Amino acid sequence: MIAPKLKRTIIAWGLLAPLVVVTLFPFAVMFLTAVKPAQEVLTPSWWPSEFRWRNFYDMWVQAGFGRALFNSLYVSVIATVGAIVISIPAAYAMSRFRFAGHGAFRQFLLVSQMISPIVLVLGLFRLLASFGLVESLNAVGGVYMAFNIAFTVWMLQSYFDTIPRDLEEASWMEGGSRWLTLRKVFLPLCVPAIAVTAIFTFINAWNEFVVALTMLRSQESYTLPIQVFSLVAGRYTVEWHYVMAATLVATVPVAILFVWLQRYLVRGLALGAVK
Amino acid sequence: MHNRALPYLLTLPSLILAAVVIFWPVVDLIQIATHDVSRFGQLRDFSGLDNFAALVADPDFIKALLRTGVWTAAVVGGALLVSIPVAVILNTDFYGRSLARVIVMLPWAVSLTMTAIVWRWALNGESGMLNSALRGLGLADHNIQWLASAATAFPMQIMIGILVTVPFTTTIFLGGLSSIPDDLYEAAALEGAGPVQQFRRITFPLLKPFVNIAIVLNTIYVFNSFPIIWVMTQGGPANSTDILVTHLYKLAFRIGKLGEASAVSLVMLAILLVFTAIYIRLAMRGERA
Amino acid sequence: MAISKWKTGLLAGLSVLALAAQANAGEVRVTVAEYSAKTGPYFQEVEKAFEAANPGVDVKFEVVPWDVLLQKLTTDITAGTNADLSIIGTRWLIDFVQQGVAEPLDGYITPDFKGRFIDTFLSPSIMDGKTYGLPIAASARAMYYNKELLEKAGVANPPATWAELKDAAAKIKALGGENYGFGLQGKEIETDVYYYYAMWSQGSEILDKDGTSGLDSPGAIEAAKLYKSLIDEGLTQPGVTSYAREDVQNLFKQGKVGMMITAPFLSNQIKEEAPKLKYGVAAIPAGPTGARGTYGVTDSIVMFSNSKNKDEAWKLLDFLFQTDWRAKFTQGEGFLPVNKEEAKMDYYVNNADLAAFTALLPDARFAPIIPGWEEVAQITSDAIQKVYLGEGDPEALLKEAAAKADGILKK
Repeated sequence: MIAPKLKRTIIAWGLLAPLVVVTLFPFAVMFLTAVKPAQEVLTPSWWPSEFRWRNFYDMWVQAGFGRALFNSLYVSVIATVGAIVISIPAAYAMSRFRFAGHGAFRQFLLVSQMISPIVLVLGLFRLLASFGLVESLNAVGGVYMAFNIAFTVWMLQSYFDTIPRDLEEASWMEGGSRWLTLRKVFLPLCVPAIAVTAIFTFINAWNEFVVALTMLRSQESYTLPIQVFSLVAGRYTVEWHYVMAATLVATVPVAILFVWLQRYLVRGLALGAVK
Repeated sequence: MHNRALPYLLTLPSLILAAVVIFWPVVDLIQIATHDVSRFGQLRDFSGLDNFAALVADPDFIKALLRTGVWTAAVVGGALLVSIPVAVILNTDFYGRSLARVIVMLPWAVSLTMTAIVWRWALNGESGMLNSALRGLGLADHNIQWLASAATAFPMQIMIGILVTVPFTTTIFLGGLSSIPDDLYEAAALEGAGPVQQFRRITFPLLKPFVNIAIVLNTIYVFNSFPIIWVMTQGGPANSTDILVTHLYKLAFRIGKLGEASAVSLVMLAILLVFTAIYIRLAMRGERA
Repeated sequence: MAISKWKTGLLAGLSVLALAAQANAGEVRVTVAEYSAKTGPYFQEVEKAFEAANPGVDVKFEVVPWDVLLQKLTTDITAGTNADLSIIGTRWLIDFVQQGVAEPLDGYITPDFKGRFIDTFLSPSIMDGKTYGLPIAASARAMYYNKELLEKAGVANPPATWAELKDAAAKIKALGGENYGFGLQGKEIETDVYYYYAMWSQGSEILDKDGTSGLDSPGAIEAAKLYKSLIDEGLTQPGVTSYAREDVQNLFKQGKVGMMITAPFLSNQIKEEAPKLKYGVAAIPAGPTGARGTYGVTDSIVMFSNSKNKDEAWKLLDFLFQTDWRAKFTQGEGFLPVNKEEAKMDYYVNNADLAAFTALLPDARFAPIIPGWEEVAQITSDAIQKVYLGEGDPEALLKEAAAKADGILKK
């Protein structure tokens, strides 16, 4: 007789196997192509004759990877911090006050998600260009911030709704001001939700492509997705091993975030999203 | 509450930010769509609905419109069908669960454009690694030309669409599942309900609001999703995998018909608005959406 | 109008945030297409050398991936934030000229400067007697063939006609294995061009003399049938509609394809990526009457009419088109020389590959200078993809496409 947990483990992995295979397939392709010697890249064999770890180093130098990594981090952090700071008050108001336009605001946020970035970009670009904000990483961060506001407000409000008011009311009874209560009682309870929402925003900004492509023009300001794309797009020849290495390395920071926040992610969303 | 202005003050910054990003470009789009417009966006004469009429007269647009319906329904539906069982499994306690969760989320860590580029590379007929894997495993005896015709390319694109939608969807469901108290299941088990019945009686009803959210958000995202189809086939061969976004992109940036492209995007916005309005009415009645 | 009030309000609010970003005096911004990994470094070098020679002028090269160049230019021009100079596909030039975006350069061009260029490559940039662009990159197409494969198949000389090509392809197919006779491109950029090679050899042209589409001419239909027969008889790689130019080139580098038609830069790639491959370059096969055609392509560098630093920009152009800098660029990227002096250099004179290309230049056709050309090309690509896929009778498909194209050409 095997232990129930072991039995569950076998069944669970067995059922997940197809998805796991399909999910990992592109990563396997990336990894194996990334370590192939240049001459073998075009042959479809899976195993390289030798592992060229140097490809990663060469790619880093040739693709100017470090700079792009920094730019990506920079815009993602601006977007994340900005979106969170701006949406906390809004979500708090939506959760704790009844006011006219409450529902309309929420619906407006949903509508704001409905336009494809590809479409928005032309108008947005003209807007920003009229202020000379082209080629500015800050402006790109700002746009990401705006793109994510709807989602962050929704998530945070849903989570805030689940926090019992008793705790705050108790604090008011004791003579705490609204501000003090907010800081000492309410916000500490929200840390997981804020963390989760922040991660969502961070990933969206990290992977964003169209806006960055339109707004940034010099190699010095390219973010990772653009930098990697420029290794592929329309060149007369593509150095696939570098492309794959770059894609893989660009994945690592986000993957680490997943590992670290995996528990939060689930718990935070549990309370968010729906209410 | 004593201060009536406070909630408005608190929501104002986010309202402005969201409005700038949406309001401005949409006004711009409406202007471009209703004018005769030059290749580089200079407005000329007001042309009313001419651009829209041109769309309706274009069989490629109509086909792309229908295909967008198939694409959205298949990807959103597929992701739903995969994500619910996966979330249920990931919610049970087993060895390596954390690892499994991270693996399921991994596609989220790569930008869509790069995912599509990697797949295009892997699906190459002669030097693609999918064909060599299938042949190595004895699952195929000749190279399959995945992207040569819509019959194989489009299902592949849908599959990849599903794959990249699953992480977000599963995460939402996992959240929903973990909020279901265990004693509900214990009580059901005591009454003799099997796993299937437990799912139907407890899990699914409680998951329903999460399913609705996933459907609305995913529909919006998938309907507007550009990179997968663009990178792999550019809507080809012969427009046979074109959806509205790729059609729009060609109109705007290849052919330079900004007026018609803007009209397409307004049509797309209208479709999404109508869809969400209807869906929220029907499916989310009684809930606060 | 209420909306425009809103707009002004928003504008006023935002302008607080705005930074001044007017063009600085003496700054020249140049948008350049990225042809290969060498493009960026080359222009960096130019920048340094030019700035050293012209103190006070600040040059900024903005390298843009080719696939998104037109998109970026469109958004930039729409917003008025375009650079001073830009590389564009010469086939787009007419749109730029008609919209008044491109500046005629005749005021700057001296006879001596004009004399630097090979006429064939300069002439596509001249419209209504005015020079709107300078050819910065030029290439033509010729047929690459795999010597070893042809030898193994018992074909002594590279095929000179389409009939011979078909014959050779059949012999390569008979070798068995994953060898394909003719690499046929059927996806993305230049899919239509790959079809024109056969069409031109049948004596047909993209545009008839009366300015209507030539797609419904007997030669055009014959050409489509020829390609279709190659596909049906298994003489091309399978799944042609999934092969973009780069994919076919990769097959050739792997030695799997007997013959393919492409640009001179493939030679450079082979040198670096498949140095052992034995290949040759020959003329594009001729038709029954001996007619043949290659596709000549130039990219032009244009000056924008709204540039504030035209004199400095011109100085940079003058600098770029010196023989040495030209040679470095052309040889690095694997293009054809556009400068007369440059063409006399040993590198070109003693290069058998390049000789095959230059020999074809008298037969070169450039993309027709008509507005809406991109749309016509798109229609052609779509139709020919349908032919390749077997979705209808070639003749019917091409006639339908010709009718569509005529609708655009009439405007």
